Amino acid sequence: MNIDNTASQMRKGVLEFCILSVIQQGEAYPSDIIDKMKAANFNLLEGTLYPLLTRLKNAEFLTYRWVESNSGPPRKYFSLTEKGAAFYKELDATWNELANAVKAVTETNNTFNNNFNNNP
Amino acid sequence: MKQVININFQGRVVPIETTAFEILKNYTDSLNRYFVNEEGKEEIINDIESRIGELFQERIKKGATCITDDDVNAIINSIGRPEDFEPMDDAQAGTSTGAASSANTQQQESANTYNSSGHKRLYRDENNKVLGGVCAGLANYFNVDIIVVRIIFVILFFSFGFGLLPYLIMWIAVPSTATKQIGGIRKKLFRDVDDKKIAGVCSGIGNYFGINSWIPRILFLLPFLSFLSHWGHWSGFWDFGDVVRFTFSPTSLIIYIILWIVIPEALTTSEKLEMKGEKVDIDSIKNSVVEEMKGVGKKAEKMGKEASAIISEKAKVVAGDVQNFSRRTSGGLGDFIATMAKIFAYFIIGCVCLALVGLLIAIIAFSFKIYPLKDYILNGSWQNAYAWGTLFFFITVPVIGIIIWLIRRLTKSNTNSKILRLTFISLWIIGWASVVCLAASLNEDFSRKSNLPEESVYLNNAQLNKLILTTSVPFEKIHTRYRWSSFDSFEDFINEDTMYLQNVNIDFIKSPDSSYHVSMLKAARGYSTENANKLASKILYNINQTDSLLVFDKGIAVNKTDKIRNQNVYITVYVPLGKQIRVNSSFNRKLYYNGHFLSIGFDDRDFRDDYYNNENSRWQTDVDYLMKEDGLYTIDGRKANGYSDRERKKNSKSYNSNDDGENYRYNEFDKKADSLRNIEETKRQFKIDSIEKVKEKLDSLKDKLENNTTSKLNVQPEFISAVVMPGFDILQNIN
Repeated sequence: MNIDNTASQMRKGVLEFCILSVIQQGEAYPSDIIDKMKAANFNLLEGTLYPLLTRLKNAEFLTYRWVESNSGPPRKYFSLTEKGAAFYKELDATWNELANAVKAVTETNNTFNNNFNNNP
Repeated sequence: MKQVININFQGRVVPIETTAFEILKNYTDSLNRYFVNEEGKEEIINDIESRIGELFQERIKKGATCITDDDVNAIINSIGRPEDFEPMDDAQAGTSTGAASSANTQQQESANTYNSSGHKRLYRDENNKVLGGVCAGLANYFNVDIIVVRIIFVILFFSFGFGLLPYLIMWIAVPSTATKQIGGIRKKLFRDVDDKKIAGVCSGIGNYFGINSWIPRILFLLPFLSFLSHWGHWSGFWDFGDVVRFTFSPTSLIIYIILWIVIPEALTTSEKLEMKGEKVDIDSIKNSVVEEMKGVGKKAEKMGKEASAIISEKAKVVAGDVQNFSRRTSGGLGDFIATMAKIFAYFIIGCVCLALVGLLIAIIAFSFKIYPLKDYILNGSWQNAYAWGTLFFFITVPVIGIIIWLIRRLTKSNTNSKILRLTFISLWIIGWASVVCLAASLNEDFSRKSNLPEESVYLNNAQLNKLILTTSVPFEKIHTRYRWSSFDSFEDFINEDTMYLQNVNIDFIKSPDSSYHVSMLKAARGYSTENANKLASKILYNINQTDSLLVFDKGIAVNKTDKIRNQNVYITVYVPLGKQIRVNSSFNRKLYYNGHFLSIGFDDRDFRDDYYNNENSRWQTDVDYLMKEDGLYTIDGRKANGYSDRERKKNSKSYNSNDDGENYRYNEFDKKADSLRNIEETKRQFKIDSIEKVKEKLDSLKDKLENNTTSKLNVQPEFISAVVMPGFDILQNIN
């Protein structure tokens, strides 16, 4: 066990959720997704994003349409399907649950640590 | 100054530097490799490529004249290299390797889970290597300490000498973890003049394989140390000595010189980088082979032209002035050697696998061949079911499994074989169960011995000087097939529903009086003693005396209802003192001194208490024996001793026989026996014919009588007897 591995496991778990979340806000082009994530300080490689999008699309959570672009080949714009929207909702609920739980757990831990540190 | 080429990338024309194009090409290749097992591989790569194309367009719009190395590298960095991608599968969870130091854990994990479908794959671990990283890779793969693997290899090397070969094979065949460091340039073999001792050959090789240059140096120097020059002859375990000795012989000097000639010097910086660049792996070998094949024609032509030039330049070669010539041959040699080694290794593995499959197929063929015996042995539907289960699940299934496995290996099928494997294993377990049940059930059927008393055989003339034992049918055909490789010998013993067991045991004992006696003991096995006795008493085995000939049946007839239950006949011939005995060669081929002929089943020797102690059972066919006070002697006065009797007889030529080592020929005694048999046969046929005639007559009489009864009510009995009598007369005449 080391920190890199654990951190990457954590990221991995929420990656799909974040991507779906970005797309849920409106039709998105992959590099838009990257930019938005970057803006939120969540660094993501395009090489990681493309396979993930393809998988989500193959699972029928996403659909896309071609949009002509003036700076290169036509672009794929992704949007959620109905199935994807339902999936996103479930993930959202799970995430809220998890976030609260994690927060609660880590806070107790901090209090405990603080108590421990304060009482030598 | 760099060359610029135009490429058609995602439907747009892109001007790009050649070096940048190389990098781009390597990158897309690496993506192809990374996503090889991914479902939407084409789509993903297409998406990434169109993104790259878009980024190219952006650069060009900004005013760049062409795409440079830096542009490509920047784009690749922003998209990420395969090794930076975050794995999407759960396979990674919990694969932390206990083997290595924590600093390398991350890398090893990525090495183990590089395949995105989640299979663990065998890689050479370049980060923890001593030589080629084979041991470290194996340790990773099997999750054991590297030290353990290394110790095993070292022990194997020093104790048996075959640690080296698998190591080299794996070094060549197993891809390196460095395969993932993509975007580099393919490594080429150069002579390293910066680190040279003589011409830089060894250090160049060291660079090529990524090892310390002292390792090749030592390998080259070894043969010059005189005490090691005979290493190859140390002991017998160098079975592949030619391969090993090749390395440790003065040929290394020649090899060195050849390499010196062929390998170009690394002069420019880019060549030096190439020299130390990419690691050896399967892909680079494959690439080089493909390139090599393309250039073979040209090279051959060139070689023909320049052959004379090469010879004349050889003097200069040693002076180190050859780069003009040798540079033309580029760096393919190292790859070539590696490829040859790989081909050699696959050849050996292929041979072993083929032999294995051949053996298994032979087992199946044998199983089907002995199938006719089935009905004579198996009793009831359960045993039949077990036998079928054994044949298919225990023998056939693993053969098919191995063949499928081989095919999958050869075609490098990556699909999940878990279900297949489980299916085969469970079928094989059924097979094992069948074997055990069959064995147990048969064992039960063979568990009890019969205990019938010995019966004596009537001899119509016991007062002879010599008794000759022969069989009713000489089995010449069987003899020629009596080899382990031909399984069809059984067929000769099987008629429609009768099989002839040849379990006849003969042995000779001194007669208590002055006449010959023969006794016979019938033995069999069964599930109970009663059953065994019943089977034994059913044995019909006839011995008939005709003058001095004692004619035995060709075998114990067994039918499908009675089954083979190790039926045996033990014949004891009591030979009077001073009289002779002889066993004809028609009797027996597979002759042991205890007098079996072809026996199917096992010998229940303990039917007879004196069996082991009886020296008289040491006889040989076609040899005349004389009964003396203490057993059988040959005519020239030596004690009967099995095989050596025959040798002696052959040497002395004392007996006029056509025996030339093959004792199955028809000899006089057999002829006599056969002619007797023929006479008997014709007599019997005549009897049958005459009886038929009588029967016909009687039938016609009967018809007449029936016709007559309607007209004449009274029939005289004398009339009938008068008509029938001639038929009886015929019968009496025959007798």
